[in-house]
Amino acid sequence: MSDPLQAAMKVAASGLDAQSTRLRIVSENMANAQSTGATPGSDPYRRKVVDFSSVLDRQTGATEVSVERIATDPSDFTTVYDPSNPAADAKGMVKMPNVNMITEMADMREANRSYEANLQTIKQARDLVSMTIDLLRS
Amino acid sequence: MIDALQSLSALSTARGLGVSALDTTTSSDAASAAGGAGAATGTSFADTLGNMASGMVGDLRNAEKVSFQGLQGQASTRQVVDAVMTAQQSLQTALAIRDKIVSAYLDISRMTI
Amino acid sequence: MRPIQLFQLAATQARWLSVRQDVVAGNVANVNTPGYKAMDVEPFSSLLDRMNEGNQTMAADSAMHLVSDDPNDAVKTEPVRDGVTIKPSGNSVDLPQELIKQGDIRSQFELNTGLVKSFHQMMMMTVKS
Repeated sequence: MSDPLQAAMKVAASGLDAQSTRLRIVSENMANAQSTGATPGSDPYRRKVVDFSSVLDRQTGATEVSVERIATDPSDFTTVYDPSNPAADAKGMVKMPNVNMITEMADMREANRSYEANLQTIKQARDLVSMTIDLLRS
Repeated sequence: MIDALQSLSALSTARGLGVSALDTTTSSDAASAAGGAGAATGTSFADTLGNMASGMVGDLRNAEKVSFQGLQGQASTRQVVDAVMTAQQSLQTALAIRDKIVSAYLDISRMTI
Repeated sequence: MRPIQLFQLAATQARWLSVRQDVVAGNVANVNTPGYKAMDVEPFSSLLDRMNEGNQTMAADSAMHLVSDDPNDAVKTEPVRDGVTIKPSGNSVDLPQELIKQGDIRSQFELNTGLVKSFHQMMMMTVKS
């Protein structure tokens, strides 16, 4: 662990990376909230979720974060009566994506908050390094 | 430090060496300092300078002590900054006086006899 | 009169603060990681006590060493125990708490560098003609 401040910036950068992936997935979910299948009885868009895991960086000894995988939400689809829809089955029922807009909005707000916090950390680590170098100035 | 400076200026007034800029402090201060300087005939220029030097060392030691406490969280930030500023003022004054003395000595040594 | 001890203490504190910043960064980055427990560093006083114990015999020597290999000098990290709420995911990071810690780190660091700069300048002044 030669310079903890540099390590801190690296860790915060990994946080930024992870949260922006999360934001991307949330916006994908929101964009596809109404995406039904193309053929009768077929499945619609299935909600995606991000799985984070902590990663120990051997060189610096700091705990970074990474996106382990982008999984799908296994919960059931809701069905809606819409016989004119191309995905309508024999009874006229259409399976809708398991995306709840309220949940996605809350998720997006939290992802933003975490992103901002990581950004704040990078700024501070950078300022601390700058203060240290400033000691050399007359 | 300020007390030493005031007594120095009062000293010059009492000895009739002319009005110094430091005399613009309150008249009561100057009067009491002049009274003190005039009465204590043992107070010489060298003594005052000596007091100033030890005053500076005292201020520096105090600044170091308070800084020590400040880094460990035992003194408030303001206390630390105040102590360090006082030390800087003392040091700067002492250095200015040292420089003046050195140049005065050089001037004297160049005077033709 | 050279305030070597002060510079040494300031250097130790700067090291402690840097490690703390690193740990806080790890907590913030892992705020959504399931099962991750928030970490913090040992208190500054306990680091100093441990360093002083180890250096009893080498007081004069250690004054010259700015970077030491002594494992005694490494800052220890430990999981946060006081006032911790564990979320359903097993994560115990409290974001506001971490941001407050960051603010503390910053102001302590500013005092530290301010002091070092001032004393350094004073020392340089006495040597310049």
